[in-house]
Amino acid sequence: MHLETVSGETGRIAELPEPSSRAALAATDLLEGIRKSWLWTTLAQQDVKLRYRGSILGPFWQTLTTAVMIGGMGLIYAELFHTELYDYLPMLAVGLIFWMFVAGMITEGCGTFVGVQCIIQQVRLPFSLHAYRLVYRNLLLLAHNFVIIPIVLLIFPHPISWFRLIELVPGLILIIVTGLWVSVLLGMISARFRDVPPIVASIVQVVFFMTPVMWPSEALGRNAWWAQLNPLFAAIDVLRGPLLGQPTASYSWIILVTMTVVGCFAAFAFFARFRSRIAFWV
Amino acid sequence: MSFLHLRNVCVDFPIYQGSSRSLKKALLATSTHGNLGRDALDRINIRALNDVSIDIVNGDRVGLLGLNGAGKTTLLKVLAGVYEPTEGRLVASGNVSSLLDTQVGLNADATGHENIILRGMYMGIHPREMRERAGEVATFTELGHYLDMPVRTYSAGMMIRLAFAISTCVPPDILIMDEWLTAGDAQFLEKAQRRIENFVRGSSILTLASHSTELVERWCNRGILLHHGRVLSIGSIKEVISAYRRLIDPDAQQAPPQMAAVG
Repeated sequence: MHLETVSGETGRIAELPEPSSRAALAATDLLEGIRKSWLWTTLAQQDVKLRYRGSILGPFWQTLTTAVMIGGMGLIYAELFHTELYDYLPMLAVGLIFWMFVAGMITEGCGTFVGVQCIIQQVRLPFSLHAYRLVYRNLLLLAHNFVIIPIVLLIFPHPISWFRLIELVPGLILIIVTGLWVSVLLGMISARFRDVPPIVASIVQVVFFMTPVMWPSEALGRNAWWAQLNPLFAAIDVLRGPLLGQPTASYSWIILVTMTVVGCFAAFAFFARFRSRIAFWV
Repeated sequence: MSFLHLRNVCVDFPIYQGSSRSLKKALLATSTHGNLGRDALDRINIRALNDVSIDIVNGDRVGLLGLNGAGKTTLLKVLAGVYEPTEGRLVASGNVSSLLDTQVGLNADATGHENIILRGMYMGIHPREMRERAGEVATFTELGHYLDMPVRTYSAGMMIRLAFAISTCVPPDILIMDEWLTAGDAQFLEKAQRRIENFVRGSSILTLASHSTELVERWCNRGILLHHGRVLSIGSIKEVISAYRRLIDPDAQQAPPQMAAVG
């Protein structure tokens, strides 16, 4: 069958402007997402509220779960590692809370786009918005868990250098930026390849036991650098060090900065190239 | 001034199933280059839209006709900005409101009232502004006390009322609707038509896909007939409807006399 033009359509043809480059479109997407911050902040708050809807404690249910876990693990492992609870529990509490934040972004990052496929399929929104929402949601959960840290530090007081607490600011910023590129990159790969989320989940679980969260990296003695080169340790270390008044491992900042910068470039290149395919993948 | 210009738009759907969804298989395939590669990565591409060029401008109410699988929904999704064309270009101006699905942004456990705010947010309307419009939306739906109940208790018709009322509460420049709208009852359709006529008169664009020729004839002034992803016919709605009838029933040389009198 041939094209059948019934009435004069040619009169309506307009000149089209030049198309934008892929990188420009990707950058626009990221900026438009930031401009819609009211939307993703509201959605993230709602995510947290809905997750604990119907429970009396609300989101603080999460805080209680974490507290119980830290208490239980703290008692047993302090005994197992023959260390004082006084030293062990603060290390475990701070480490585990930041681990949950970092690992949460990695595992949930697999669902950045697949998790909101009905939205992506129906409404045109900047894709970056879904990543912002995810990271902000995890920040909110971190804030709920963070309540535990001052309580633990009050029960087991350690000398705090208030000046060093400033280090938390660049540390958190770097981890948030890393969380963003991880959720964009993993979100895209997992949308295309559906066997990625379970692979990532099991890797994260294995890495948990290899990362000095439950045990101090010094326990490895001369081989402590094995654990200290782990980028997830670096992320936790730059936050844990200042809070516990302990020195940050020598390479942690370098590893974290490198990971953030390299990851951003890689994720942006990937995002620019495949952004338009996400709607077809999910 | 709102418009939608499509130039030689093609949309290819990769159909991912089974092994082509697997990263492990994909990695194996690239490293072996052998028979396995062809087996493991058998991606099928379906061309859902093929070389579509259309210009839709102010005041156009476009009815989209075609058999199942002709590419109507894909075209609507391209116009709504959900799918980026694989080839060709789309240039659009004006704020788009799309009613492709009644469920968007709706939380099944939240009440009708809560969902008005929620869906409004996905449309880019701030909850503060949406709260001011909520009363008017509630009146239009005529759902009354049902709005205090979770939307999972709603019938399909009630969902349509709610979704339509929210999507049109701020007159959009471009309204894109898929065929589910026609599932509403006659009284609702009447009301919906009046509302759409109001804002299309104010220089807006409506694009509507439907299988109901009576409905598109009543609502639209232009028509597009899609067939296997190509534009088979484009022009005034009456001409396109008769082309559609010829497509459905090629044996009938002409439309029956009484139809001809109407069309």
